[in-house]
Amino acid sequence: MSLKKVAIGSGSLMWGDIIEPGLQMAKKADVKYICYDWLAEVTMSILYMLKQRDVNGGYPPKLIDWMCKVLPITKERGIKVITNGGGANVEGACEALKKALKEVGLKGLKIGSISGDDITDKLDKLRSSGIKFTNIDTGEEDIDSIKERVVGAYVYLGSEGIVECLKGQADIVVGGRLADNALYVGPWMYEFGWDYSEENWNKIGAAITCGHVVECSCCCTGGMMCSYWDKVPEPWNIGYPIVELSENGDAIITKTPDSGGLINSWTVKEHLLYELHDPKNYIMPDGIADFTTLKLEDVGKDRVKVTGMSGKKRPDMLKVGIGYTDGWKQELQHWFCWPDALKKAKHCEYIMREWLKRQDLVTEKIHVDYMGFNMAHGSLVRVPDPEEVADLPEVGLRICAKFKTKKEAEFFREHAMIWSAPPAGYVFNTTTAPAKPVRIIKLWPTLVPRSIVQIKTKIVEV
Amino acid sequence: MGQKIKLVDICYARAGDKGDISNIGLMAKSSEYYKVIKEKIIPKKIKDFFGDMVKGKVEIYPLDNLESLEIVMHGALDGGATGSLRIDGTGKPYATAILRMEIEV
Repeated sequence: MSLKKVAIGSGSLMWGDIIEPGLQMAKKADVKYICYDWLAEVTMSILYMLKQRDVNGGYPPKLIDWMCKVLPITKERGIKVITNGGGANVEGACEALKKALKEVGLKGLKIGSISGDDITDKLDKLRSSGIKFTNIDTGEEDIDSIKERVVGAYVYLGSEGIVECLKGQADIVVGGRLADNALYVGPWMYEFGWDYSEENWNKIGAAITCGHVVECSCCCTGGMMCSYWDKVPEPWNIGYPIVELSENGDAIITKTPDSGGLINSWTVKEHLLYELHDPKNYIMPDGIADFTTLKLEDVGKDRVKVTGMSGKKRPDMLKVGIGYTDGWKQELQHWFCWPDALKKAKHCEYIMREWLKRQDLVTEKIHVDYMGFNMAHGSLVRVPDPEEVADLPEVGLRICAKFKTKKEAEFFREHAMIWSAPPAGYVFNTTTAPAKPVRIIKLWPTLVPRSIVQIKTKIVEV
Repeated sequence: MGQKIKLVDICYARAGDKGDISNIGLMAKSSEYYKVIKEKIIPKKIKDFFGDMVKGKVEIYPLDNLESLEIVMHGALDGGATGSLRIDGTGKPYATAILRMEIEV
């Protein structure tokens, strides 16, 4: 008897992604599900702020346009879509989607939605019930120090809601802060009928591992490569990845047919190692994967076989992200050309610092880079004495300063001409205005017991 | 005196972030090189190399099956992606930064 296999494709890796590779997959690939991940740590906080501004907002607006283009194809081909594009407002996103689908005339589609991730309004109550919200990065326990500045608090949910929606025959499942990984693990748990019991931990570990490889889309098909970056075919037409997972927990990783990009054991390996901590304990809401037992094998063009994946029981605690505001940052970039480019850049930095001393501005922090030298690798790169490189063709000065208020950041921005005007060799940028102040939203990562999270699902038909 | 090798000649790397933590997957280009990095790359060496860029502790986890090391650096991102004043608060360039490191063999 042949093993049941279920193929899942990756449609997007973040809010800023492009639609074409996911559309190409919907049209051409032999997959049963396509997963659209839209969220990153910072994205959620931005979405919570958007929701504060507009109660109907709080999800990436382009979700609606994308789904209106994707769903007619997936419906036709019997593919289901799973997304966390509900962001900070799943209900609002689903309402908007319903309306938009009516307008494009797509009927007979079931939208499943998942709530329970947003615990912003419950923080005080949970706190008084004894949950400490210790910051797992810094060990800080004083959450009261940021309480007034919290923009949103959300739990990383696992697959339970996705499985429930799929049992209810949903064609598209929309969640908020579903763990990126759960978008993939959910449909596999549903398809293979796995529950959270002892006999399934290795298989769930396999699903988590495969989800991890493909959830950043092009990052395992030739994007971001350190090894094969100059050997990727047709990168302008890069294909997004597909996992064919078997019910025994082995998998093939491949990509959309007739697309560019590349899959081999190096492209997969590079992304397997991405954003891990302890590779024996890759902790996700649905289980804990062990990346040290698996084996990668090239088994054909753009096909890598993954065997030996394993895992352990899911954790009792779930991760929570609490976003809070922490002032404003203003970045400015100035360019200088030969002769004495670096000397002039440093001179302008000197003027800027002298000017700052004379202002009624509280600069909480300031960071200076000499672009062309140390912007990327920081203090690992020695910035030469300007006299040593008097012949340098050009160099950039990047200044980023942090202020408590937007007003201060704007004042700093408006006065940049004072320190950039003096020398000949200053390169005016006539095409782009300086960047505007950016609100800093910091993250307070913490844990809560699984038992306090209540996942709810709803299915509506359009 | 042993011979000095630069990591760029024997490894590939990819870096990611979680909060203020930077993690680098350091992949040996051959089994022989994996033995070298597994022995020579220790937390203190990483900490000394990155200097003021990494404020917290460094942990290193070997993956024999992938002939790679996972290097976890705490307090490495100037407060994390959003709070950082650096150009890339996610620290993606740390992947190539580590390849500047020299080890004696």
